[in-house]
Amino acid sequence: MALTPGTPPAGGAGGGAELPVPAGGRSELVEPIVVPNTLWRPADPVADDRDRALDEITHLRQLEASGLVRRDDARWGGALEVIPTKADYVLDLIRMNSLWPLLSGLACCAIEMMSAATSRNDMDRWGMFPFRASPRQADVLIVAGTLTTKMAGPLLRLWEQMPEPKWCVAMGDCTCSGGRYKRSYSTIEGIDRIMPVDVYVPGCPPRPEGLIYGMMKLQQIVKDARGHWPEKPVGPTVPDGI
Amino acid sequence: MPTRHEPAAPYEIPAHPSADDPRVTLEEQLGVFEPIPPYPPRTEREAEFYTLRDGEMFINMGPQHPSTHGVLRVVLKLNGEQVVDLDPVLGYLHRGVEKLCENADFHQAICYMDPLEYVSSLFCEWPAVIAFEKLLDVQVPRRAEYIRVLSTELNRVASHALFMGWMALDLGGLTPILYSFIERDEIVEMLAALTGQRMLFNYFRIGGVNGDLNHEFMSRLGDWMSRATEQIEANLTLLNENEIFVRRMRGLGVLDRETALRMAVSGPNLRASGVPFDVRRAHPYSVFPELEFDIPTRQEGDCLARYLLRMDEIRQSLRIIDQCLHEMPDGPVMARVPRLLRARPGRAFAAVEGPRGLYGVHAISDGTDQPFRMRIHDPSFVNLQLVPLLMPGNLVADTMAIMASLDPIMGGIDK
Amino acid sequence: MDRAFRRRLELRFGDLLSGPIRQRHDETEIRIAPADVPEVMRTLHDDPAFRFEFLADLCGIDTGRTMQVAYHLWSETTPDWLRVIADGLSRDEPRVPSVTFLWKGAEWMEREAYDMFGIVFEGNRDLRRIYMPPDYRSFPLRKDFFIADDAARSPGAGVRPMERTHVPANAAPGGVVRHSKVD
Repeated sequence: MALTPGTPPAGGAGGGAELPVPAGGRSELVEPIVVPNTLWRPADPVADDRDRALDEITHLRQLEASGLVRRDDARWGGALEVIPTKADYVLDLIRMNSLWPLLSGLACCAIEMMSAATSRNDMDRWGMFPFRASPRQADVLIVAGTLTTKMAGPLLRLWEQMPEPKWCVAMGDCTCSGGRYKRSYSTIEGIDRIMPVDVYVPGCPPRPEGLIYGMMKLQQIVKDARGHWPEKPVGPTVPDGI
Repeated sequence: MPTRHEPAAPYEIPAHPSADDPRVTLEEQLGVFEPIPPYPPRTEREAEFYTLRDGEMFINMGPQHPSTHGVLRVVLKLNGEQVVDLDPVLGYLHRGVEKLCENADFHQAICYMDPLEYVSSLFCEWPAVIAFEKLLDVQVPRRAEYIRVLSTELNRVASHALFMGWMALDLGGLTPILYSFIERDEIVEMLAALTGQRMLFNYFRIGGVNGDLNHEFMSRLGDWMSRATEQIEANLTLLNENEIFVRRMRGLGVLDRETALRMAVSGPNLRASGVPFDVRRAHPYSVFPELEFDIPTRQEGDCLARYLLRMDEIRQSLRIIDQCLHEMPDGPVMARVPRLLRARPGRAFAAVEGPRGLYGVHAISDGTDQPFRMRIHDPSFVNLQLVPLLMPGNLVADTMAIMASLDPIMGGIDK
Repeated sequence: MDRAFRRRLELRFGDLLSGPIRQRHDETEIRIAPADVPEVMRTLHDDPAFRFEFLADLCGIDTGRTMQVAYHLWSETTPDWLRVIADGLSRDEPRVPSVTFLWKGAEWMEREAYDMFGIVFEGNRDLRRIYMPPDYRSFPLRKDFFIADDAARSPGAGVRPMERTHVPANAAPGGVVRHSKVD
């Protein structure tokens, strides 16, 4: 099989697995790429039922729509979930405005993360000043820098040590998709191969303002936990299906 | 949402991937991370390290730690609070840059050099560019050389400012890092005006630099230079006159001259031990023969000497920047090189003096348009070998001070 | 290009050199057999006429036919870099004596050459893998180790070949070990 540059691989193009169609029927959005997710299993016993469909869902929206995972496990929930109460609102505000990141700077993006945390671009304005050293005390894992195969184990262990509720931000091209090291023998092409990511901040390295924008998007997710595909701001009182 | 240009083909992860496949399955690795490796020791040094005497224990300072300069794992052998021995474990950031460079063109290979020592990216590109220019017999115009020196000396100041912040941070002081990031942000915004990027600049090209000086860069530079000296001196007085800082660092991690030469270290770590070796004067490149600057050298070889030496180097860098600005010649900033670069078969070695030492690139060409072998010599890699040498006998809290004073950057160490 | 230095080297090491001394730009290159490495290095280090006390680099090279180890040295007696190439290591069992008796700092550089090529440095007290995990089985920088873009038989091949716009479309896939013209 002579591989000529520029031709797509023969066979297998176009996706084999069936995609769970989201409830809104958003056909104008681009079809997401489904990566068979054999690498990550959530530690949550409700979700950890080794269901085949669960293995193939990697995006938050499909995960919610599939009904396989209990939604909003960070909320007090239950019958009250139908109408978000003031308590929910306040709880979300509290969480959103004091997200404590874990110091997980691996490479160059760590410098820009530190730059975003220091005086000129101050992340402390949004409550994210204390970069905790221990994963037990952190909310957000900002993975900044290239993930290599040797580091994948420790990083996943950090992620699993973080208590719920936790979010993950992939900062930089290397964590989003492998970046400039995409074909290397020792890097992992994007951390979403091993852990669920909430916000992707592309750039090599992203400007500190870019990271702050990503964190603000994360705050939006924390506030409404509805997924981050829609660009328009949604609050806690917006009903389902948006 | 941006449209995707690639076909949405699912990746085929084989059912039983080999352990060497980059798309690793992690079930095996998620065990208990013990400092002691699960196999019998394979080398003399490993056997010597992993045998515990009475009263000793292992502590693993894992890849994620607030005080390591990146992902470095250090297995400490402690006797109480005192470090008896240690074993650094590298490779948590090994990205295979040398292999990727072999499959890339000359220009793409320069792009791979940036993230090695990411706080001083221009110094990483420079020896690659010089080596390729030697292979291709390209002459760089003088204005480009002066711009190179100017931008790299700015990068050196930024890197040393960051060093100052990290030195204090590893000793426990949380304020100086804010000041040093202010310094760094100013310089880096300046370089962003010049090169387009804040950090991984990708500015040097074979035959010159990517773009000429522009108005925004010159105005920011002039503004900064007018207050640089006072600002830096003010930042330094914060630390130099702090008794705790000075007393903690004085006499710590002493490296003597013979050991430094034997360990093949270079840069400020070598000069703080009394060896006045600076590549800019020992093996001059670019326009350094025409520039006037001193090589600060100190004799004590302890952490304080390394710190003060880097601060002296900042002052020398300001001198060089000043001279570059005054003597900047006119002319093109890029030589005329053909689009498709094919080098004669041969080898080239080029080395520059970076903030951490001697950056070298040994490039081998086989006549095609890709380097056959691109060997990157990184000074932090060699400097980190001092750590098992200097740390034993000190307390755990001082290990970080010694490590910080050697100024390692893991991107370069792990390549 | 220091001609006098070249003559001094020829006088001192004449019979140990396994090839002509080459000089290009500001580098001088000598080739020796692997077994002569300790003797030559010690002479270069200790002899007052040479005094090459500074080891700038130590690397392994895989030319496709053989393996080599290249040392770069600096001395204040000459304005050139000296490159010493220990040539002729076999690709299946590359062994070369270590220079850690002279420069302890070469230990990790030799570890790296071992990790990337499999070159065994005899005399290095700590020859284990430094970058790759300790149970890794391949040597990545060898020319028969292909990353996903190179070979059709690697699991990542065919996903998206790296663009090489100047290579004609009917070129052979990169499954060939390149050993042309590098000696």
